[in-house]
Amino acid sequence: MIELTHLCKRFGKRGEISAVADVSFCAPTGQITGLLGPNGAGKTTLLRMLSTLLVPDEGSARVAGFDVVTERQQVRRHIGVLSDARGLYPRLSAVENIAYFGALYGMSARALNERISLLLGMLDMRALAHRKTEGFSQGERMKVAIARALIHDPPVVLLDEPTNGLDVMSVRLLRGFLRLLRDQGKCLIFSSHVMSEVAALCDTIVVLNRGRLLVQGTVDDFRSQTTRASLEDAFFALLEDDEQKRSVI
Amino acid sequence: MNVRFSWRRIFIILRKECLDAFRDRRTLLMILLPPLIVGPLLLILIFNLVATQSERAQTLSLAVQGNANAPALIAFLERQQVTIKPLPDDYEAQIRRGHIDVALIIPKTFPADVAAGRAASVQLVYDRSRDRALVAIAQTEHLLAAYGQEWGKMRLLLRGIAPEVAAPLKIDAINLATPQQSGALLLSLIAFYALFATLTGGMAVALDASAGERERQSLQPLSITPALPFEIVTGKWAATAIVNVIALLLTLTGFYLTLRFTPLPAIGMPFLFGLPEVARFSVTLLPIALLLPALHFYVGIHSRSVREAQAGTSVLLLLFSLLPITQMLLQQREPDWIAAVPVAGHYSLLVHALRGEMLPDAGLAWAYAVPLALLFLVLIAAARRLNSEASL
Repeated sequence: MIELTHLCKRFGKRGEISAVADVSFCAPTGQITGLLGPNGAGKTTLLRMLSTLLVPDEGSARVAGFDVVTERQQVRRHIGVLSDARGLYPRLSAVENIAYFGALYGMSARALNERISLLLGMLDMRALAHRKTEGFSQGERMKVAIARALIHDPPVVLLDEPTNGLDVMSVRLLRGFLRLLRDQGKCLIFSSHVMSEVAALCDTIVVLNRGRLLVQGTVDDFRSQTTRASLEDAFFALLEDDEQKRSVI
Repeated sequence: MNVRFSWRRIFIILRKECLDAFRDRRTLLMILLPPLIVGPLLLILIFNLVATQSERAQTLSLAVQGNANAPALIAFLERQQVTIKPLPDDYEAQIRRGHIDVALIIPKTFPADVAAGRAASVQLVYDRSRDRALVAIAQTEHLLAAYGQEWGKMRLLLRGIAPEVAAPLKIDAINLATPQQSGALLLSLIAFYALFATLTGGMAVALDASAGERERQSLQPLSITPALPFEIVTGKWAATAIVNVIALLLTLTGFYLTLRFTPLPAIGMPFLFGLPEVARFSVTLLPIALLLPALHFYVGIHSRSVREAQAGTSVLLLLFSLLPITQMLLQQREPDWIAAVPVAGHYSLLVHALRGEMLPDAGLAWAYAVPLALLFLVLIAAARRLNSEASL
């Protein structure tokens, strides 16, 4: 469960750039919440605040019941993050990369082995396990990064545009894996700038533009509200409408 | 922070960084091989210099023009084991090129001046900017002066005057430098090189673990784990410090083995670089070997890329390596406060060690207190930076 209340984040010397402005929503457990918006909408900033990397200027957020500012360490133990930065250590093997993070979460060697073995199977990456990650393909890197992010079996999973740069096969595998996590009762947030991507996977959609929350609802809500032929068109119309309103003001 | 500082996590980070560093064979080789090779190479060059200089001192050869004008002078020089050679026509060019160290020209007017009782002049031609000629120049000047004195004494005696009348001041030089100390003059180069090895040893690893990790985008995932910034910084620093200390020990081993197993030149420098010196060097340089990786790391964590970090550390290295050079060139006695200046104070201690002296307690205390205090501050500053939003 993730709850955001009036969350704000500003950048710039005098705080003149408002990256996230007064965003409130709730991402329930056992669901995939899609964070949809064009580039620069504030998706990454929002996820960074939830990952405790950025401190909100105003408002608050609770992740798995813990406040992202005052209970930072507790939040970190309860989240798995696949951010835009998903670099691996090229001189370590896939398993070593994953085990390093597990050790930092304080896992015992036995628990670590069991968990790694499980993840290798779920992500279909046994063949990669003991190869050094130098020269891995985008898809292979993504698998290692996901396994690394989920090594401590966190109840909350945050994914920032995870499908960027992946081929169709990898995207398919990723979607299947995320659905599996949802069915295990985890709370997932999945950001993307592609409507079809979100529609294919998410239970709830939150649309952001220029740091503001435009619409929140289920995919079906979204469908029923729009008269457009496709969801993609509906999303586009929504953004256009918002831009017009802004220019009037 | 509601989670306590954990030594275990520091150890996990240290272990991973060591594994990472030792897997990078090529870089590691670049770090660890030069100390083993360059040290001995430097020593061989020094030996060579000393050997040729003492050789030159032994067999001074002098290019002379006008031998016939002063047969007595030539005879005196030959008695002093000087090899007399004819002076070629292009002697000035040859002196500049270093083929001839000193040339002596005895003009035709010499016999006439001597007969008339005037001061007879000879010309000495040399290029004082050439270091290797300095020994020959000094020796020739010394011999000519001795000849002049001898001659003057004879003239005074002939006139019935005691030679002491013309030489009221007699200088007895007592050189307090032990044989070991005179060797130390050249060996200050060794001190400089050992110090330099400590400044650069862990640099590549420190930059890889900071700016490199940021560039590969693995720093952000790491900072979302429960590992505290101070733990991350300390673990990474410790791994770099280990590499740096290994590089230092290899450098000293290189020196030790060269001096132990290469035959010293016939007229060698009776200096010592035995196990006590190795120990004193290690003790002196340890705090610097620990501090420098932290500074490199701090620069690395502030930089956007490895390239930017390298630019930053090269400024750092330039500043630090200027200190010993300034001390080398400084002719005055060093002020006492220099002991508290990192690198400069350490260089002074190394020179002490090379003179075969015990390290002064106060100097050693400063050599540890200041770098260790700085180390702690730098680690805290690096952790703060890692924790700040600006480091994303």
